[in-house]
Amino acid sequence: MTDSALAMSSAPETAAATVAPKLAVRDLHFYYDGFQALKGINMDIPEKQVTAIIGPSGCGKSTLLRVFNRIYAIYPKLEAKGRILLDDEDILGPGYSLNRLRSKVGMVFQKPVPFPMTIFENVAYGIRHHEKLSKADMEKRVEQALRSAALWDEVKDKLKQNALGLSGGQQQRLCIARAIALKPEVLLLDEPTSALDPIATGRIEQLVEELKSQFTIVIVTHNMQQAARVSDLTAFMYLGELIEFDRTERIFTKPGKKQTEDYITGRFG
Amino acid sequence: MNTGTDHIIKSYDSELARLTGEIVRMGELAVTQLEAAIDVLERRDERAAQRVVGNDDAIDQMEQEIGHDVVRLLALRAPMAGDLRNVYAALRIASDIERIGDYAANVAKRSIPLSMVAPVAPVGGLRHLAELAAEEVREVLLAYRDRDAERAYQVWKDDAVLDEAYTGYFRQLLTYMMEDPRNITPCTHLLFMAKNIERVGDHATNIAENIWFQVTGEPLDKQRSKRDLTSNPEITKLGE
Repeated sequence: MTDSALAMSSAPETAAATVAPKLAVRDLHFYYDGFQALKGINMDIPEKQVTAIIGPSGCGKSTLLRVFNRIYAIYPKLEAKGRILLDDEDILGPGYSLNRLRSKVGMVFQKPVPFPMTIFENVAYGIRHHEKLSKADMEKRVEQALRSAALWDEVKDKLKQNALGLSGGQQQRLCIARAIALKPEVLLLDEPTSALDPIATGRIEQLVEELKSQFTIVIVTHNMQQAARVSDLTAFMYLGELIEFDRTERIFTKPGKKQTEDYITGRFG
Repeated sequence: MNTGTDHIIKSYDSELARLTGEIVRMGELAVTQLEAAIDVLERRDERAAQRVVGNDDAIDQMEQEIGHDVVRLLALRAPMAGDLRNVYAALRIASDIERIGDYAANVAKRSIPLSMVAPVAPVGGLRHLAELAAEEVREVLLAYRDRDAERAYQVWKDDAVLDEAYTGYFRQLLTYMMEDPRNITPCTHLLFMAKNIERVGDHATNIAENIWFQVTGEPLDKQRSKRDLTSNPEITKLGE
């Protein structure tokens, strides 16, 4: 590890130096069939805060997010090297089962992908996969998840209807409900509002603010204003490297690196 | 921080450049007003003094236009980082320049009653103060135009010279007033005018602080000792 990588691996000031990071990325490299998409990433993601990852297309931000729940593992020829410590345990290590990881790390994608089944079943499906609950307990858990995702009031009278009938914004909140129904510790959001209108986007951003008291949230976004609005910490990535990682306020008022400044002010890099 | 790279959207660059140009022009106008105020005082020209007072409207108008441009930039461009500090500083600097314009107009306004009484000797001393203040403002405008934090800092430090000159002038006026009570009316006007000019320097230092913040992203350390000593009771004893 280089000196700068070491320096960068320490979390920014507000990330409470006294508290161990929820996710600690250590010298992470990632390859798509020989192409190196991540180059020695080191970062500490603090617990119950929102960390935004920004950067131009192809900078590796979505790749990094996907390594956090090892979604790449379903494809051959993809390889991650390095360590990602979730509560001090390496999730890339051989002993960490995918099932266990997925129960701790939930993910929501850019395009809402509800299953072609009822609203209720969309949320219950994942829970059944991990837990055996009584009918009453299941109903309670589904309601709880839908309430947390700020969707309950809109769907409580049509839980048996097909989820595909919901609006895009509602579908995305349903996906968030589905993810948080498993009671994960970390919630990964991959451009969760890029397919939504400003009102639906506002609802999701409000939701992120509410959820951060319960979850550690990592959000990848192309929308810098969104990163500025919702996150406590912001990481700027470029060409597979973590250029700068600091308090969001600092990144958007006085970034330390010229590359960050050029990117967030809309200049040629 | 101007990173030396253009924005992808060219019109954004031209809008920011226009904002800088407007501020510099507004500042130059304020300096001209200050110099004109001293000229009309020395020439004892009441009508010209009234023109100077009237010209202050143009500075107020420019401040409004800059405020409008800043709101527009914030709304339409959502500036970030160095651009954000740039726009924020422009708004604050425009407000300081507007105050400088007010002080220049006040000096011109007080020259009118002064021109109606017999000339007093210390009038000549005001020009020195005004020249120091005008030079400060000119320097700070150049620092602003060039985004030169060091040059701004130098202005900020040099304001102590104006403060000292003001304190000296204050003593001089006290002496004149004590020598002959007939001097009290004109010297009181001169005292207010001198204080106005000293305040111009303070606004120049405010501008310097804003330039410092705009360029570095950090506040300028405010631990400088205050050099206007006229509030010190020791000063008033000097004439005894």
